[in-house]
Amino acid sequence: SPSSPSPNKPLYLCSPFVEAALVKGNFKTIVVLPKYVDIMEWVAVNVYDFYTNLNEFYGVITEHCTTQSCPTMAAGPQLNYTWINQDRKNVHLPAPTYIDYVMTWVQNLLDDEAVFPTKAGHDFPQSFPATVKHVYRQLLRVFAHIYHAHYNQILHLRSEPHFNSLFAHFLAFGREYELLDIKEVKGAPQALVGAGMLWEKWKELGILDG
Amino acid sequence: MSSTSRTSTSTTHKQAEKPSDYVYFERTSKGFSDDAVARAKSAQMKLEHFYKVAVDAAIERNTRYVLFAPVSPSNEYHERRRVELEKRLQGEVTLSDDRKHRQLLQLGRKESTFLRLRRTKLGLGDFRTVKVIGKGAFGEVRLVQKTDTGKIYAMKTLIKQEMLKKDQLAHVRAERDVLAESNSPWVVQLFYSFQDPQTLYLIMEFLPGGDLMTMLIKYDTFSEDVTRFYIAECALAIEAVHKMGFIHRDIKPDNILIDKEGHIKLSDFGLSTGFHKQHDSAYYQKLLDSANGVSKPTAAARNSVQVNAIHLTMTSKDQIATWKANRRKLAYSTVGTPDYIAPEIFQQKGYGNECDWWSLGAIMFECLVGYPPFCSESTQETYQKIIQWQYHLAFPDDVHLSREAEDLIRRLITSPDRRMGVDQIKSHPFFYGVDWAMIRQIDAPFVPHLRSMTDTSYFPTDEIEQGNLDTPVSEGDANKDLAFLGYTFKRFTISSQA
Ligand SMILES: Nc1ncnc2c1ncn2[C@@H]1O[C@H](COP(=O)(O)OP(=O)(O)OP(=O)(O)O)[C@@H](O)[C@H]1O
Repeated sequence: SPSSPSPNKPLYLCSPFVEAALVKGNFKTIVVLPKYVDIMEWVAVNVYDFYTNLNEFYGVITEHCTTQSCPTMAAGPQLNYTWINQDRKNVHLPAPTYIDYVMTWVQNLLDDEAVFPTKAGHDFPQSFPATVKHVYRQLLRVFAHIYHAHYNQILHLRSEPHFNSLFAHFLAFGREYELLDIKEVKGAPQALVGAGMLWEKWKELGILDG
Repeated sequence: MSSTSRTSTSTTHKQAEKPSDYVYFERTSKGFSDDAVARAKSAQMKLEHFYKVAVDAAIERNTRYVLFAPVSPSNEYHERRRVELEKRLQGEVTLSDDRKHRQLLQLGRKESTFLRLRRTKLGLGDFRTVKVIGKGAFGEVRLVQKTDTGKIYAMKTLIKQEMLKKDQLAHVRAERDVLAESNSPWVVQLFYSFQDPQTLYLIMEFLPGGDLMTMLIKYDTFSEDVTRFYIAECALAIEAVHKMGFIHRDIKPDNILIDKEGHIKLSDFGLSTGFHKQHDSAYYQKLLDSANGVSKPTAAARNSVQVNAIHLTMTSKDQIATWKANRRKLAYSTVGTPDYIAPEIFQQKGYGNECDWWSLGAIMFECLVGYPPFCSESTQETYQKIIQWQYHLAFPDDVHLSREAEDLIRRLITSPDRRMGVDQIKSHPFFYGVDWAMIRQIDAPFVPHLRSMTDTSYFPTDEIEQGNLDTPVSEGDANKDLAFLGYTFKRFTISSQA
């Protein structure tokens, strides 16, 4: 066990890392819908960007996210996410497997012309908002796992300003377009999402709006 | 639970000014593979670029800062377009509110289309190669067809490895951006760019008329009337490049392309010729030194007496013949031809955009005389002749030039301080009667006869190896990609949208 004076306080909530940011100021400015732009297109391109950027950072730590180091998809001291399998059963998966499923699933959706249309004349399906919420919830879990289990690696690689800003942007965008429930971000009282505490902390610091 | 990866020691120093939870964390990349470290750097830089673009766009939204072009190609500028349009519509008293509203909605649709394009991944697989039509220092140029739309483009490939070897990176981004933004009729349009681990791909408009080099090989010389047309158009094209804040530095007949109406456009200077290593003056100095025999002695040099054996026995006619025979080979070589480059570029003095007017003079000379003014059978010799242009600029007796033509050439091929600028050039007697504003609209002297959209008869395709038309794609290492960050570009035009 590491010799830390507050062993329960995760590093990402400690100074100076909690304030580390690539993008200074309030995220509202880059989150608001540009005038006259279709909201679906705006949400689609942002989800696409969040996925792409998150994938880059996960790619960096994959060698440290193994079935041995992360036998479960942990995101807090009492929280292990479960995956719903084909038989609609909740199953525990090692984090790398879980994340691989998530990323593959999202990639397939993004590549699916029927879900994320890219060709002229193709419209977004009725189910698009629901699909995006679903995607958002799963991406949140990937962020949460990285914060909980791999923040040291992020620090070793000096990526915390980048990763923090990406996550703060993700939260701000999710709140603006109601893609994220606060409950999802914070977790249940008996199973808190570690990274969910960043939400309050960043509001205090003025990085996020209420 | 504490995560298993939390291995390093973190200690707190209770210092007065630090918060109580201030943590010192000793960072090390020891536990990581080289690949992971490179990927981390790459991820960081990509994100920095991403936010820079996002923040710039947002700042523009908020400050309503209006810049030049009402129609700009890429996303970062879409706010600019909207603000422009809003302003224009406000001024339009005759337009009904309904019409104004509809125009704004239409703009919104265009912007939404652009966002779509951002999600569209283009790759080699979206294009089918029809033929290889050109070769360059870092790759080749192919005529391609976009499979879904059937549209025809020219695709230029640039091998990253080659460019890294030659230190070509610094300029790639900035110059690419300028090219991407330009809507000038004088510059070849860039529509898309993408990359795989080995290669950068540029999808440009296809100019079916070939290039001026090929035309000069075919016709040998032009009449003064024909020369007047091409040189006048080149002058306007160079002016356009300068107005964008650019110095081309390497204008030559290979970079002057002919569109389907027979008018000219400059090829993608920023990505090809504009950033060659040979613009590095130190590199030239080395070449010059070696030509002068001052280079550090090599094994061969110590054992033999230096003689300029072949050069001395060649007559100037032979020289010209050799030069002509090798013209295309020279164009395909990495070193390129120095024939059109101004002397100040070789020297350590620094230079301004006047250097492009020198090149124009050299091209004009070639159009009328049949070869460039300082051609020699070795590049070293050419360098030396250019540096000492006073002694080497000679008009052959057997070619008749008008007084005006010779005068213009002499006012271009001269020292930078005496060289004519664009305004003087335009009012030079050689161009008497040229309607500068309308020249692109008049009939060109040679209009390509094209039988189809994919007609390549103006390209020396039989001289270019057609060989392997599919480029292998494999995993590259993250380090190399770093240099090409932010490279992916998609032009937003209504017509180019699939
Ligand atoms: N957009 C285009 N349309 C038609 N042909 C083109 C186009 N771009 C290039 N070419 C052909 O390919 C040849 C080589 O292209 P270009 O000069 O742009 O590349 P390059 O030779 O690699 O440049 P450099 O060697 O000067 O860096 C040209 O001379 C021309 O014949």
